[in-house]
Amino acid sequence: MYLKITREKLSHWLAGLKAQAEVLAPVKVKGLWTFQKFDSQEIPRKFQNSLLPPKGLFLESLRALFEWKSPGGSPQVNPLPPLDGQRVIFGLKPCDARALRIIEPVFTGEYRDVFYLRNLSRTLLLGLACRAQCEGSFCGEMGIDSQDSADFDIFFREVPEGYVARVITSQGKGLAGGRDFFEEASEKEWNLAQAEKRGRREPSLFDLERVKAGVAEFFPDENFWKRISAKCINCGICTYLCPTCHCFDLCDLQLPRQGARFRCGDSCAFPDFTKMAVHNPREEKWRRYRQRVSHKFNFFYQNFQRIACVGCGRCVTHCPVNLDLREVLLEVAR
Amino acid sequence: MNPSQMNEGAQGKNIYLPHRMEIIKVIPETEDTKTFHIQFLDATLQENFSFLSGQFAEYSVFGEGEATFCISSSPTRRDHLEVSVKRVGRVTYALHQLNQGDIIGFRGPYGNHFPLDRLKGKNLLFIGGGIGLAPLRSLIQNVLDNRSDYRDITVLYGARSPQDLCFQYDLATWSRNPLVKMITTVDVGDNDWKGKVGLVPVVLEEMAPSPEGAVAITCGPPIMIRYTLRCLEKLGFTPSQIWTTLEMKMKCGLGKCGRCNIGPLYVCKDGPVFSFEEIRNFFSDEF
Repeated sequence: MYLKITREKLSHWLAGLKAQAEVLAPVKVKGLWTFQKFDSQEIPRKFQNSLLPPKGLFLESLRALFEWKSPGGSPQVNPLPPLDGQRVIFGLKPCDARALRIIEPVFTGEYRDVFYLRNLSRTLLLGLACRAQCEGSFCGEMGIDSQDSADFDIFFREVPEGYVARVITSQGKGLAGGRDFFEEASEKEWNLAQAEKRGRREPSLFDLERVKAGVAEFFPDENFWKRISAKCINCGICTYLCPTCHCFDLCDLQLPRQGARFRCGDSCAFPDFTKMAVHNPREEKWRRYRQRVSHKFNFFYQNFQRIACVGCGRCVTHCPVNLDLREVLLEVAR
Repeated sequence: MNPSQMNEGAQGKNIYLPHRMEIIKVIPETEDTKTFHIQFLDATLQENFSFLSGQFAEYSVFGEGEATFCISSSPTRRDHLEVSVKRVGRVTYALHQLNQGDIIGFRGPYGNHFPLDRLKGKNLLFIGGGIGLAPLRSLIQNVLDNRSDYRDITVLYGARSPQDLCFQYDLATWSRNPLVKMITTVDVGDNDWKGKVGLVPVVLEEMAPSPEGAVAITCGPPIMIRYTLRCLEKLGFTPSQIWTTLEMKMKCGLGKCGRCNIGPLYVCKDGPVFSFEEIRNFFSDEF
């Protein structure tokens, strides 16, 4: 089902949704794009993407799991519930929505992390097609279609007058409501709304099958990983900005007679990530860099039949020493 | 209760929430190691809880954090659980400060277990070093409680010095048991020491146990395991006849937090018990 809406009406529609849900949309704060509560601000034209991936809205970098109170030294432990309440996010990009689905199986299975899963299930995702390729990105190579995605409830394409939308789920259909804001659109209008410059680079930088094979083949090549990771400074920004990096720590906060345990973001780039009492299996930097690349392109694929990278390019753009993942992938796929 | 039953109706269950357990006894093992006897505060859970030898759990000292240890008692002894802890860091230090009556948190049991079915009818050779006896102890008690299912049982246990031997009360019991061959060795003895003096792999080579119908189960410091493995292979044991448990840094114990992997395997859910056949085929050497 295709719909269209003017820019003005889109703002009114989102404002109206606030009666039934928390509505988030892109906002520029101190020069940086982020997703925040929609306060009838102007929806930006040609929005590229947020600096931080929206994963933090689902896998919070700090999530209280349970708390304790210790009357007379004997702690009473109370579980804390996952966040609840309907949520709508407008303006998410195909790469980031895919990332949320890619890491989902980590949190399902025998032991379900209700904090992540509830955040997913309580949120309606309104996607926005890209108008240009992001700096540093290789989303096309990673199989992301910047002009369409089934990971959303409604997917929008920007046109000069407003938006043409494809309604994907029944929840999306419900959200679009009657005909107060949207008008019906034709498939032709939908097709014409496709951005002139598709995200896909021609020819591709590399072949994904060869990357997968290459990362596994290069695993034992210590010298390769030493050379590649030589300039890495273990800052962890690549994992912090990565929409699929999900490794976490469990940490306690103790106050007088009470406290809480948190699930906190962590990074495989940090030297103490795997440090034990007597030894550290990934003490050397090249092992940690190899772990990050191998986890994404080999181990994760073996365990969940999908690659834990969407090619958003954040790690490429923001690495302080220009360690470019694309160059690494090119080299292993050669 | 097995883990899946404990997570019944898992839709809404908080997997990070520990059960409260009371320390009912503290046994100092060595200068830096203590064994804690613990019981669930929840009587139903205490009644129904079950696990298998080799499984581990996450133990909390509220306010200090959580740490991973195997359960060092046997599932055949249901009065309480035992966990043996060497003082090496923040949580273990905090645990060592606790006394009888104090409350800790417990999540588990997690991970796989020793393959009891494959040990039945076999000669069992246990080779332990230092605190590495803890996971073996669970299995040793387990097989002793079903003694007729197994053939010869040999325990070779070593530590740096007589003062570093853990579970001395068990060593004494096993020594007195006519159905157990018990050998204790230390790297450096003292005037009162009556056992053997020498490194575990060296003593093992002297003993020269037959690999015929035998299974070796070993746990200890990495260097001991490495030389023990070499020695066992020299004696004719095949990699599929040798089992061990591996230690890796863990936080969640559930295969999610992302740090205990060896290649694509997660020690918390694919282990911690592995045969050397499996270890030999590991994709990665990072353990």
